[in-house]
Amino acid sequence: MKNYLQKTTSPAPLAVFRVAFGLLLFAGTVRFWLKGWIEALYIQPKHFFPFYGFEYVKPLGEFTYLLFFICALSALMVAFGFKYRIASILLFLSFTYIELIDKSTYLNHYYFISMVALLMIFVPANATFSIDAWRKNLNVSGIPKWSIDAIKLLICMLYFFAGLAKINSDWLLHAQPLRIWLPANNDLPVIGHFLNETWVAYAFSWAGCLYDLSIPFLLLYARTRRIAYVAVITFHLLTSLLFPIGMFPYIMIVTALIFFSPDFHQEIIDRISILLGANSKMRPVVTYQYHPLTSKLILTGLVVFFAIQLALPFRHLAYPGELFWTEQGYRFSWRVMLIEKAGHAEFIVRDKNGRQAVVDNKQFLTTLQEKMVATQPDMILQYAHILRNHYATHGFNEPEVYVDSYVTLNGRLGRPLIDPAVDLAKTDDSFSDKPWIVRYHDDIKGL
Amino acid sequence: MLVNWVDNIVIPSYEIFQTKLGIMATSAEEFASAPSEALLQQLREDWVNAYIEYQNVELFEFGPADKYILRNYFNIYPADVSGIEENISDPSANLQVPDAYPRQGFPALDYLINGVGNSDLEIVGFYTDETSGSARINYLSTVIARMEERLENVISEWPSYRETFISKTGLDIGSSTGLVVNAFVLEYERYVRSGKIGIPAGVMVVTGGIPQPDKVEAFYKKDISKILALTAHGAARRFFNGEARETGEDGPSFKSYLDALEAKDETSGVLLSTIINNQFELIETKIEVLPDNFHSAVQNENEAMVEAYDAMQALVRYLKVDMTSAMSVTITYTDNDGD
Repeated sequence: MKNYLQKTTSPAPLAVFRVAFGLLLFAGTVRFWLKGWIEALYIQPKHFFPFYGFEYVKPLGEFTYLLFFICALSALMVAFGFKYRIASILLFLSFTYIELIDKSTYLNHYYFISMVALLMIFVPANATFSIDAWRKNLNVSGIPKWSIDAIKLLICMLYFFAGLAKINSDWLLHAQPLRIWLPANNDLPVIGHFLNETWVAYAFSWAGCLYDLSIPFLLLYARTRRIAYVAVITFHLLTSLLFPIGMFPYIMIVTALIFFSPDFHQEIIDRISILLGANSKMRPVVTYQYHPLTSKLILTGLVVFFAIQLALPFRHLAYPGELFWTEQGYRFSWRVMLIEKAGHAEFIVRDKNGRQAVVDNKQFLTTLQEKMVATQPDMILQYAHILRNHYATHGFNEPEVYVDSYVTLNGRLGRPLIDPAVDLAKTDDSFSDKPWIVRYHDDIKGL
Repeated sequence: MLVNWVDNIVIPSYEIFQTKLGIMATSAEEFASAPSEALLQQLREDWVNAYIEYQNVELFEFGPADKYILRNYFNIYPADVSGIEENISDPSANLQVPDAYPRQGFPALDYLINGVGNSDLEIVGFYTDETSGSARINYLSTVIARMEERLENVISEWPSYRETFISKTGLDIGSSTGLVVNAFVLEYERYVRSGKIGIPAGVMVVTGGIPQPDKVEAFYKKDISKILALTAHGAARRFFNGEARETGEDGPSFKSYLDALEAKDETSGVLLSTIINNQFELIETKIEVLPDNFHSAVQNENEAMVEAYDAMQALVRYLKVDMTSAMSVTITYTDNDGD
């Protein structure tokens, strides 16, 4: 172990990763801005759904643009390796803040970006091929090996856990939800009509599962790396063709480059340097050194970080009930594209004097929020509290809030998600089990 | 599916409706030139026929009908009586603004030929009145002319829109199927379930359980609210099954699409399309037992109205949640239950 921690490696892969990560995030932020999503997702909504324990994260109104500006600028600074430490901290904080404002926008790959950004703060990604290195004339030839391995480990965990989650009866035995999703693309040229076939859904399901489980290993071994990378490109381009998942495929394609050898990355650096007319030759034998105490702190932090990462995907075991139905322990665990869920939730507010209102969700929520609320119990509860507070100030005496919900999961006929007799106004959220979620009639076997 | 919808359902239905609207317009002209009780009764009969026929096309609120917001100009009720009176005295009043929706279309005609007097004699008297009679006749004619013009706009655009419509395959937002699913579910949820039954029965509103008899469809004629609801419900059922308007034969449709996807209730093995069709039938029997006149139904036997509503609510869920999820279509509109 001690030996491993002393090992150094070329800084080139991490430097290229830094540039790619920064540029992609910059592009992603600009794309978000240009599509008008800042306005639509963070300014227009009247109410927001913060994560449990992060209620202090408030929307910033018009200042959200400033937040995105900081995010885009720090991403660019990270890419160029300019004032890297500050830039990487700013990037992590601004990006994570944005993601914490409203959980209706939660996506696994945003969480992934947040976690990578967090790691990036602590690794010497600016040790070469950066403005910092150039200004201080500090090109180094070696950085601690663990700093690159930490990033690789996170990527491997994402894939592997995504693969493990696919080992469930819906995915493997019923080809759900792909059986629902694939035929929706049956108008694509050439492959379109195949997507109607049941066997294709099964083939995609099994291939996807095997891909996720094996790709970390295939990328780690030099002999299979090239073919694995071809698989990465094919797989993610195919998913981007079939599903509306935005930047995610490109992020994965680019991040997987980090598995390639130092020589490969050095060549990228050299070629770009020649284009820029800069000298990239490293001064030999200079190794990036952390202060011993800093090094100790960072390594301890990494151990804690990865212990948490390892535990989070299994936390659902602490809850009774069907995970896909209750979603208790579903987020932050690399469960990607596993469920097709749709729902309809009608809220009824009553007060002591017998007044009653059927809530017009549109008055309170955006289309996206309404869709998310309808299928996710914790959001139903948050929304019920929003309604309680609203109606309490609109002449309702101690309002009670009930929900008439109906949700379909992976092609099963819909059922009530929440006990309609429970007054949600008096129910509080916590990390403990939510007994007011109706227990599911079906058992989806799997991890 | 798209071709079946356009060629066998949408366009033929519009043409039949246009004919009936034309017959109504002719009767109105005759009545306008020499108001009499006999001509009033003729006009009323033709209005009823056209109104019933309209229920067969209201659900096509996509493409041209969406562009010309046909439903808003044809069937927003209750009619705005004071607004109608205002417009009668001001012939240049703008009928294009949202405020003017309930001052025209079938609900306005309902008032103009059924609600302006207690007897046919009085109604005829309303139009033969020496001071305001001609202004009233004019408004009646204006309303009908606008309906014809609006409908003609929609019908004449369909042939060219047809190409766009059948070329936009797929199921994403903007695809024709996505468009139709959204329009179909919206129509049934908001305009059939809520509009015709839920709101009059007091199910939707803040007052909670207090019926609103003045919000029934065809409030002044009164005894046709059931046939209007039944027709609209039937139109939805036939559209779901892809039933060709002229031959009555089923073609490619939501039903056949769901069946091809093998969408079914896993526990019982029953096809989703069968479940949906059974629910359509159940609702039909629940509407059948209601009196012709919902205005009295909500006051005297509202439980039966609420029962029909509950059955329709279950259907809305099948259509909006189970069907759209099975088809992987995104529901783009958000709810408004009209309170």
